[in-house]
Amino acid sequence: MDLSGNRFAGYAALAVLAAGLIAVPALDLPAFYVAFLFVLYYWVALATSWAILSGFAGYWSFGHAAFFGTGVYASATFAAKLGVPFLLTIPIAALLAAGLGAGVGFVVFRLQRLRGELFALMTISVTFVLATVVSNTPIDGGLGVYLISVQVPEVFGSSTGTFYLLGLFFAALSIWTAWKISRSKLGLGLFAIHDDEDVAEVKGVPTFRYKIWAFAISSGIAGAVGSVYAIYVSYVTVGDTFDVTVIMYPVVMTIFGGSRHWLGPAFGAVIIEAALYTAAAGPEASIGRAIVALGLILTVLLLPSGVMPSIVRLWRSIFPPRKVTYRATAPAASATASAADGAVLTIDGVKKSFGGVQALKGVSLEVRRGEILGLVGPNGSGKSTLINMITGHYPLDSGTIMFDGVPIHELPAHDIAALGIARSYQIPRPFDRLTVRANVALSGMFGAGKLDDEASVYGQAQHWMEFCGIANRADDFPPQLNLHERKFLELARALAARPRVLCLDEVLSGLNHTEVDAALDLIRRIRDNGTSIVFVEHLMRAVVALSDRVAVLNEGELIAVGTPEETMRDPHVVRVYLGDAHAA
Amino acid sequence: MTRIFTRLLGRAAVAASITMLLAGGAAFAQSGKPIVIGQTLALTGPLGQTGMVHKIVGEIVMDDLNKAGGLLGRPVEWKLYDDESKGSTARTQYERLITIDKVDLILGPYATEGILAAMTVAQRYKKLYIQNTLGIPHLATYEGQFSALMTGAEPQNTFPVRVLQAYADSGFTPKSIAIVTSKFASAQFNSKGMEALANARKIPNLYLEYDFGTRDFGAIAARVKDFNPDFIWTGVLGVEGHQILEAYGKLNYKPKAHLYLYPSPSLAQVPGAEGGISQTSLEDQPPYTNDPLIKHYAEAFHEKAVKANLPYPFIDSQAGNSFSGWQILIAAVKGANSLDDAKLIAWLEKNEVTTVMGKRDFKGKFHTNSVDATQIRQVQNGKWVLVWPRERALPQSKLVANK
Amino acid sequence: MPGLNLVEQSLITGFLAGSLYGLLALGLSLSWGLLKLVNIGHFAMALLSAYLTWYFGTELGIPAWWAGAIIVPVFFVYGVALHWVFVKFRVSEMASMLITFALAIIVESFIQTIWTADFRRYSTPLADQSFMLGGLYVPKLNLLACLVAALLAVGTWGWLKFTYAGKALRACAEDAPIASAYGIDHKSLTYLLSGICAAYAGVAGVFIALIGTLAPNEIWTWIGVVFAVVIIGRLGNPVGALLGGILIGVCEALTQSAVNPAWAPLVSFSVLILLLLVKPKWI
Repeated sequence: MDLSGNRFAGYAALAVLAAGLIAVPALDLPAFYVAFLFVLYYWVALATSWAILSGFAGYWSFGHAAFFGTGVYASATFAAKLGVPFLLTIPIAALLAAGLGAGVGFVVFRLQRLRGELFALMTISVTFVLATVVSNTPIDGGLGVYLISVQVPEVFGSSTGTFYLLGLFFAALSIWTAWKISRSKLGLGLFAIHDDEDVAEVKGVPTFRYKIWAFAISSGIAGAVGSVYAIYVSYVTVGDTFDVTVIMYPVVMTIFGGSRHWLGPAFGAVIIEAALYTAAAGPEASIGRAIVALGLILTVLLLPSGVMPSIVRLWRSIFPPRKVTYRATAPAASATASAADGAVLTIDGVKKSFGGVQALKGVSLEVRRGEILGLVGPNGSGKSTLINMITGHYPLDSGTIMFDGVPIHELPAHDIAALGIARSYQIPRPFDRLTVRANVALSGMFGAGKLDDEASVYGQAQHWMEFCGIANRADDFPPQLNLHERKFLELARALAARPRVLCLDEVLSGLNHTEVDAALDLIRRIRDNGTSIVFVEHLMRAVVALSDRVAVLNEGELIAVGTPEETMRDPHVVRVYLGDAHAA
Repeated sequence: MTRIFTRLLGRAAVAASITMLLAGGAAFAQSGKPIVIGQTLALTGPLGQTGMVHKIVGEIVMDDLNKAGGLLGRPVEWKLYDDESKGSTARTQYERLITIDKVDLILGPYATEGILAAMTVAQRYKKLYIQNTLGIPHLATYEGQFSALMTGAEPQNTFPVRVLQAYADSGFTPKSIAIVTSKFASAQFNSKGMEALANARKIPNLYLEYDFGTRDFGAIAARVKDFNPDFIWTGVLGVEGHQILEAYGKLNYKPKAHLYLYPSPSLAQVPGAEGGISQTSLEDQPPYTNDPLIKHYAEAFHEKAVKANLPYPFIDSQAGNSFSGWQILIAAVKGANSLDDAKLIAWLEKNEVTTVMGKRDFKGKFHTNSVDATQIRQVQNGKWVLVWPRERALPQSKLVANK
Repeated sequence: MPGLNLVEQSLITGFLAGSLYGLLALGLSLSWGLLKLVNIGHFAMALLSAYLTWYFGTELGIPAWWAGAIIVPVFFVYGVALHWVFVKFRVSEMASMLITFALAIIVESFIQTIWTADFRRYSTPLADQSFMLGGLYVPKLNLLACLVAALLAVGTWGWLKFTYAGKALRACAEDAPIASAYGIDHKSLTYLLSGICAAYAGVAGVFIALIGTLAPNEIWTWIGVVFAVVIIGRLGNPVGALLGGILIGVCEALTQSAVNPAWAPLVSFSVLILLLLVKPKWI
């Protein structure tokens, strides 16, 4: 552990803060301050837990109240009606809420189209359904549940101390969880999902699993918070629990504070709650709320990513972070299983249609180990679709694809990526809100290389960035790069995954003559390292110069395959490209 | 010219001195630190329109109290917060009132949910807790709680009996009853009481509950009309009474006899409300306004309500509940000659208080009055009129049933 | 079991109530689908329009259609101005949610300060009147609202599908840079659409005032249902919004007529969940 001054000072400050907050109930402060801090804590926990899925991955949930309510009524039922000791009801509540979240996610994250909105609708619906069930069954029944008789262990001499400490615990837990996640593989995956879920999946991020985890964690924390809230308010009702504020405030607080930063929602929660209590408490409450609302609007207009990023920028300008340099580490020897010859990828009778258009009509092709296979054909011939089939971007209609003897055509894309197939996109699709370095590192983490520790992930990322000539842009964001750099970023991302088969989709388009030469050189070096390459291209001189074999597609059918010279002279090919007059 | 001027100046000076002496005297009479009474009200949120009534009442009582020299010789101050119609907010704000603002006395908020949430705070600090609108008396388990209502300890049992009695006295016995109730806690609780009574007396009944946020009552109205009951008990709170009547109107349905549990007073002005009954303990009309204090309150309320733009700017039961709560608090302070909550609680347990809603004790369970003394009013020609018990109502006001 | 008459009457009631949801959902659906702005303030503006209609009618003696004629253009200008702010500050979809939510609070506060939290009812002669359809009642004003909703929904759908401006807007929504590369003046079109969305809120408000009682808190009772209607009807699809609204309205009404009405939200939202799972083609 690095015990340099900054880090140590940081931990010490945190320890002092923690001690201070824990000691609050023991001080002889007016109880309102303790209660008010509790209110801050539970909003911090609600907002931060909401952001774990909705802020990081971008799946807006309007159902946080459902999980909060699950926790509230779990404790109300078990403690007040069934006599279960209160502290025991908290983990029960958290598990029930997490289970509900996982269940909802399991159902809705399978739906492919319109994911974002349908998720929002699902969460609203679950909230209404739950509220109605609770309200019309003996769980509540309409009269509310009175918890005044529930025995709560008294810390620091009263139940106030107990719920205060529980609230502090969950606020701290949620912040710590968000922090941990944002620096973990899970967090990187969630951020990638936010920017481009389909690409994340193809890069190896197990999107379905990650979303469920994030949702379950988010819901579980909300459930635990609900549990503690129940003893705070002592009389729970459906109206109060499933109120529109519980639905909307975590959203508003997160947006205000900054949705991608682990401390953003907490910051937003504290500021907004404090503002409301100051401005909106007295008889002119209505006007006070309007003033706070106006303040929110002005802040968000001026700081569109939320307040936290600006604070971070300010902090860094005062305390510049130590510049971290990464040393490039050469990746382990290529992942080619055996040096045996033969097909590494066997495509057999693959058909795919989109609506009424049949993009692939039954293509059979093999990619030999260690070769560069050029894939050419007029526009619309199915080249990109074939790449999409191989990488699992879309499911195929019929046919099989075998990768080193393993059938991959029914595997989810992230498993295919982990097995060792990577691609670059014709129009670069980097994760715009991750740095170039993070973009490359992500592939390293989730690809075939299966890297686990930070050192090798970032070390290898550095290697690939240097290999592709973009190391000087490592800390910039993709929108700041020019086209040439973005194309090479695509390449670096693909390479960092250590693929055995690399699919390049028109990687040369838009490059000038010199840049093309550099790229060709790069591609040869990649193949020499042991990677088989499928290479979609329009630029004929590149195809001819680079390919060991060429496959020609037209209108979804393979019309020729062979050496570049053979295929270029094939009359059918010539007719397809240049028209009848030039054939034969 | 100068002489007139000097004389005028002289007179002005004298007038000013006298005024200052009087003001000073009054201030001297109520010198010392003000007594602070803390409360939250539903000033915003779905219960806001009734919160307004309570706010106006509070202002009137404060004015009167300070003009009359305050309490125990000290001026009185009212610290009011908004609880947004939410129990959780009420609970937090009462803690603020007691531990930060360090108010001397507190009064409960409006409506059952707020009252119950804040009661736990009152209990923790052993404060006298007078509340004026708790519709579920048996939930008030704190011994320092006192109810300003006139409904007794079991309104869900006693009030439906009184309603049917009132109709019986007018010669009407409903042979079928429809009960339509909101799921707001107190409304649902009391409506269940009506259902129980109907079942006990073997009167066929239709029991419907609706969600507190229901937007459209067309289907419910159609269902009631289809059942064609002799009497409709409507457990409404706030705006739904209006909405249900509008829905009846669109179906061209005129209920034979109908009751509204906690309506907004402006219900009387809704077309189709004619003949609807409700409970009351105070209205802006004789016989109530024969009492000079009530007449004074009625005028003061009317003036402020008009200025505040209320559609029904007259006192009624809701204002009555509020006035009573204040009167009980003031009576206790004066009676015990103290601000000590324990002493006030002890005093109220043993004494009777005269409020705008009548003389009452706290000997019923949960510190309610020993008998259900609610009266019944009816919408006649767009105004609420007291119609039962017969002895209290004006001779010309009769409960008109089965029209 | 409810009799046939009751079922049919409930169907009518639900259909009409649902078309009001659709009318409210219209503007929200268009701005969310085509402008990528989630306008939570839409409900607040509709309620403001309702209060203004009531105020014009009750205090100033101006009948509803004149009130509408004044309100709708003013709201159109407001919509354009709002969009100007969004464009100038390059507001993202997420930020638009916060900003419009805050606007809703400001509008609610404004309404409450001026007209108090008490209920307001716009009494017009037509308020209680209904057409007779066999033995069934069709409330006149609700029917009018339904017709206007249908007109606006179909009209907007047609405008989007067949006119240059409509097609251009849809193109911009799909891919703005490409669309402008094709010469589409996407800026003025988006202002136009934003104004239209606000104008639709104004229209919805006029009918809300005519049909029901007003209270500032109503903003929040509409949100859940209308959000659901917008999503199930597909964002940016005006006819979808109307049909979604009617679907929910009918579900609610039928539930209320058959079982304990308090179960209504369960049924309508369960239907939505089912639709999400079964996923018929039109979703």
